[in-house]
Amino acid sequence: MKFKLPATMGSQYLVLIATIVLGAILLGVSSGGNFFGPVSMQTFFQFLAVPILIGLAQMITLAVGQLNLAIGAIGGVAACLAAVMVADWGFNPWLGGLVALVVGAVAGIANGILVVVTKINGFIVTLATMTVLLGVQYALVNTRTISADNWKSVAALGKASWFGLPAIFVIAIIVAVMVGLAFKFTTTGRHLLASGDNEHAATLAGISNDRSLTIAHGASGLIAGFAGFISFTSLPGVNQSVGGDWLLSSFAAPIIGGVSLTGGTVAVFGTVLAAFVVRLVDSARAEFQLAPAWVNLVIGAVILGTVALGRLRETRETAKAGMLRARVANHRINAAAVENTAAEEVKL
Amino acid sequence: MSTPILQARNVTKSYPGVKALDNVNLTLMPGEIHALLGENGAGKSTLIKYLTGVHQADSGTLLIGGEERNFANPSDSTAAGVGVVHQERNVIREFTVAENIVLSRTPKKCGFIDWKKVNSEAARCLALMDLDIDPGTPISSLSSAQIQLVEIARALYTETKVLLLDEPTASISDAEAAKLFKVIHRLKADGAAILFVSHKLDEVYAHCDTVSVLRDGKTVLSDAALADHPQDEIVNVMVGRSLASLVTPERTVDSTQEPVLELRNVTTTAGHGGISLQVRPGEILGLYGLVGAGRTELAHAILGRERITEGELLVNGHTAKIRSVRDALHEHGIGYVTESRKEEGVFLDQNITRNVAATTWGKLAGPLGVVGAGRERELVAKYIDELSIKVSSQDQLAGQLSGGNQQKVSLAKWLAADPRILIIDEPTIGIDVRTKRSFYELIWGLAEKGLAILLISSDLAEMITLADRIVVMDSFTLAGTVDNTHHYDTMSQDVIRLIHAKALV
Repeated sequence: MKFKLPATMGSQYLVLIATIVLGAILLGVSSGGNFFGPVSMQTFFQFLAVPILIGLAQMITLAVGQLNLAIGAIGGVAACLAAVMVADWGFNPWLGGLVALVVGAVAGIANGILVVVTKINGFIVTLATMTVLLGVQYALVNTRTISADNWKSVAALGKASWFGLPAIFVIAIIVAVMVGLAFKFTTTGRHLLASGDNEHAATLAGISNDRSLTIAHGASGLIAGFAGFISFTSLPGVNQSVGGDWLLSSFAAPIIGGVSLTGGTVAVFGTVLAAFVVRLVDSARAEFQLAPAWVNLVIGAVILGTVALGRLRETRETAKAGMLRARVANHRINAAAVENTAAEEVKL
Repeated sequence: MSTPILQARNVTKSYPGVKALDNVNLTLMPGEIHALLGENGAGKSTLIKYLTGVHQADSGTLLIGGEERNFANPSDSTAAGVGVVHQERNVIREFTVAENIVLSRTPKKCGFIDWKKVNSEAARCLALMDLDIDPGTPISSLSSAQIQLVEIARALYTETKVLLLDEPTASISDAEAAKLFKVIHRLKADGAAILFVSHKLDEVYAHCDTVSVLRDGKTVLSDAALADHPQDEIVNVMVGRSLASLVTPERTVDSTQEPVLELRNVTTTAGHGGISLQVRPGEILGLYGLVGAGRTELAHAILGRERITEGELLVNGHTAKIRSVRDALHEHGIGYVTESRKEEGVFLDQNITRNVAATTWGKLAGPLGVVGAGRERELVAKYIDELSIKVSSQDQLAGQLSGGNQQKVSLAKWLAADPRILIIDEPTIGIDVRTKRSFYELIWGLAEKGLAILLISSDLAEMITLADRIVVMDSFTLAGTVDNTHHYDTMSQDVIRLIHAKALV
């Protein structure tokens, strides 16, 4: 099986790569080369792990035609619970990390079951669970910041380097590859896409849409929990703000990366590339010491632009198909007319 | 006598307001091609959906190979060897042809999808159908006829003891149909049973052995040898005596009158080419064609939902530029009763009053834009009475009505706006025979009052009953016109010939 990308997809990746290269060069020049310094690069990749993970988490819910507003809240609760367990209750830091993953998976599955059982729109369900989880996060840490000194062994992972890259970035890439493989090589992955593309056709092929929804939300939650764990390892301390700014970037990565909002598609490579773009915007903000609001403004505008462009392309394709059909129709009529005249001439 | 492969006994299934299946019986023997006939809405598709576990019946039993089975979902029926091609297309558009074929049981190796086998298995199924399609092609790049053929190939993927085909030849060419019949006869020789639903009686007589006929959800002819029942008789059984007793009014259209709606050599953004037609006041013009011929799209073009790029649209002899449905209704008096009544025809969660009055609020509103409830109710009461809509009160929600009454509400909504031209799209789909008749009488009455009616229908019998002239559409062009002589046989032959003259190209 050849992994040929559709032409439009390929060009989309090229645009993303060009944007990243251009952005990096601009940042490099304006920082007088500092941006490409070892410390700066290390930081860049270190804080790329979370955008990649939350982008993937959102991508999985988009694949089944759902969305998950609770990604940030799930990650926040996961990180805070791990911190509280270790710092206040004296658990092993690694056990805390494991609990973060479990919390994520459980919260995600709960989202999925709620969507399936209540048949309420995923937007409302995850909006509600997000609010509940934010309450839990606040109850856990209140206004304190729990220092990472409490879990030095795990925090070492956040600072570690593998193959010259931050370990957590490498881990995020591994997760991305695993997600990509799961969508390509497991029936569960294909069933998720089938349910997201055409619920009715999926049902007729014996696929359970309820199962697809539950699994997608569960996996999304698990990866959000994992992003929480990554924050737990890499941040100097954990407080109630962890996860607070994830919502927009979680949508930005898959949408800019080429994932359809109506379900049925995934684009792991695109999502990872788009996470780079998001991270670059954030780096630029730090470089020029702009207010964080600028990041939101830029990313929000880019998302709107991408969606609008996609819609425009779709409209144009429908119009093109109509034009083609009309041309065929007119051609056939003309051919028939010519034939008729010919027949009449023969009669004469 | 050998055991039947599939036997359905006393199957009953009701939807709110309609009994879709009423004590239906069906027996499929090994090595037979069994025709399932009936008019639109007779319950054929519902029966097939029951046999494949898509829907569950209220009562009745299903035996597969003599064993009682209860299919809770489609994978149960696939596992039991029941293959199916449904009437509407069901594919995952983002997937390849191969993946769509193996979707119900994707080949795996060590727990992972075996892509090599996915493609080879798909290639095998495509070869069975003599299809020259690369399994790796994205299915969205195929035409709808090709997708239909791929769906048939998909039904052959799992080992099939029973194959249910719901109008498999409706949208494919004769040459493609010939391939299909070759496969069907091979399966028959292997001892499979095939259930074949079709409106093309010639095909049925050429290939089928036995026949069952459904009418209004009841089995009116059960497991009979086709050879014992000539075509005329079968048609009578399908249609029933009810239609014969329907009094068709003597209709005359004043041909000296100027057409109120006219298309001149129109090309549209939806893909129509060279469309010319005229509708006069008081005339019912039928627009007939197969699914996908572009009839509804033509209605959309008239209403401004698609644009007319070449040619002219004339209303009352004047060139009209219609930009939206709002424009069509308020500026030009064109109403459109939609084919998808639940999605586009009625507001299910709103009461009858609001539904009917929706088109007239602009007119009813006082100087401040406030709609007086009294005037609204008065107007709606008139239509409830005129169309004899069965409601408990004006405050009843449209969603609680039967399909037929919802359709009447949808119609009333447009009548309330007082149009001069009414486009009616598939008015009687899923509506029982009695309501259908009252609908026919309604439509005649409207034409009598001078409304110009453009009637879209896939039901040829309905067309012949209602329309003064039938324009046949095929692949977004006009294939020809048939004047109504009320001779069903000659007319239906003329219409079918017009469609096929082009389908063969």
